Amino acid sequence: MALLLLLLVALLMPQQQTAPPRPAPAAQPPLAAPASSALDYQFFKTRVQPIFLKKRPGNARCIVCHETGAPRLQPLPEGQTMWDEEASRKNFDAWSRVVTPGSEKSRLLMHPLAASAGGDPFHAGGKHWTSKSDPEWQTLLAWVNGAKGDGK
Amino acid sequence: MTRTMKYGLGAAAASVLLVTAFVARVPAQRPVLKARVVQTNAAGDSVHVIDVATNKVVGVIEDIEVPHGTALAPDGAHIYVTNESLSTVDVADPRTFKITNRIKLSGHPNNLSVTPDGKKVYAGIAQAPGAVDVIDTATMKNVKSVPVEGAIHNVYVTPDGKFAVSGSVATSIISAIDTSTDTVAWTLKESSGIRPMIFTTNPDGSTKQLIVQLSNYHGIVVIDFATHKETTRFTLPDIPGRERETDGIQGAPAHGLAITNDKKTLWATSKFYDYVAAYSLPDFAFIRTIDVGLHPEWLTIPPGSDNLYVGVAGKNATVVVDTKAMKVIAEIPVGQVPKRNASGMLQSQ
Repeated sequence: MALLLLLLVALLMPQQQTAPPRPAPAAQPPLAAPASSALDYQFFKTRVQPIFLKKRPGNARCIVCHETGAPRLQPLPEGQTMWDEEASRKNFDAWSRVVTPGSEKSRLLMHPLAASAGGDPFHAGGKHWTSKSDPEWQTLLAWVNGAKGDGK
Repeated sequence: MTRTMKYGLGAAAASVLLVTAFVARVPAQRPVLKARVVQTNAAGDSVHVIDVATNKVVGVIEDIEVPHGTALAPDGAHIYVTNESLSTVDVADPRTFKITNRIKLSGHPNNLSVTPDGKKVYAGIAQAPGAVDVIDTATMKNVKSVPVEGAIHNVYVTPDGKFAVSGSVATSIISAIDTSTDTVAWTLKESSGIRPMIFTTNPDGSTKQLIVQLSNYHGIVVIDFATHKETTRFTLPDIPGRERETDGIQGAPAHGLAITNDKKTLWATSKFYDYVAAYSLPDFAFIRTIDVGLHPEWLTIPPGSDNLYVGVAGKNATVVVDTKAMKVIAEIPVGQVPKRNASGMLQSQ
């Protein structure tokens, strides 16, 4: 009977411990701790990810560098215009690491913003926005500040 | 009237013959060659062409998203650029700045180099297992992919054209490809990833030394080319009281080399301290540093010039240093994050 009880308890235990370990993230510069729990996946998927694919005059698209660089964007198969669910989840995990929820100083916001607008001095991927009032930068800020759903 | 017409037609025919004969005897006009610097913009979608005489941008090659390296045809007829977004070598006309060919590579490229006779271009493939693709410039076709050990960052053809020397960041291996057979002649493993390289030469034109910058090493390594042995290494100077710049270094604290046309001075960049440093040759004695701005990258010195052109990634500018006066004389705005550059005589309109 005791053996049966032990077996039952073991079966009812949460299974997280036996789940396969998540792959180690790619080499990252010193960043904030993962903040995905405070950030909304749906907003990221529908509003933030398109920014990573958009071509801005004079700039390379984010995807071109971050497909191999950190934080990583999953490769986009040829002919596909948006990431699938699995890839979007991976992107969300990777990019949540460059966000401190609620902080305008998040690396995601400061790195690609022109220094003259308050951004970091240098981003190896160039400066994509010259003003904090840029709608795309505002979308990123909204995600950092906890916007949910499709944001509409 | 008839006679007039007859004579008139005869004279016209004679004129045509004369003009034809004249045209046939006049040699084809030689293209005008001008010293240019070609600056790629690593986070941009264009390549800037700078006139050395005026230090002004004279042309922009558009539609190359993430251009990595550039090499110039020795006859000045072509500008070659590795295109990271399409995995191609893009060929541009230096007179029109238009792309005339896109040559598909075997993988994602980094840098490239052209042989002194202009017949071949070698492009490093920056993905495992590693290769150097060979472009035949007569046909503008990718004719061979030479397997090497590790993804290739840079490749350089030696001044005598006998070797294409490639370096891998991932494996720290230098591979010297014999250009007569396009096979690997020798390899050398270094202490960390292989970054920019440059050569010194013997009086007969053969390669004397291979000078290398390495990942995470703020300095220079010198390798004897004949024996493939490292002979010396030294660090670039720290600047007392100045904090090292470490953000965005991408594992390469020193990422640019050039040798002056008189072969007496070696220049190297420091991303830690935003300077270029001069060393005398052949003794590698330190001369001085000159501040050029945030994240100096590649260097080039055009033929016949005393000026050093520095791709300064954090300034979106190519900075010009007069190596005689030892001072910055110009800042030329270019595109996003300018890194690699090259110079030579290019055809102009």
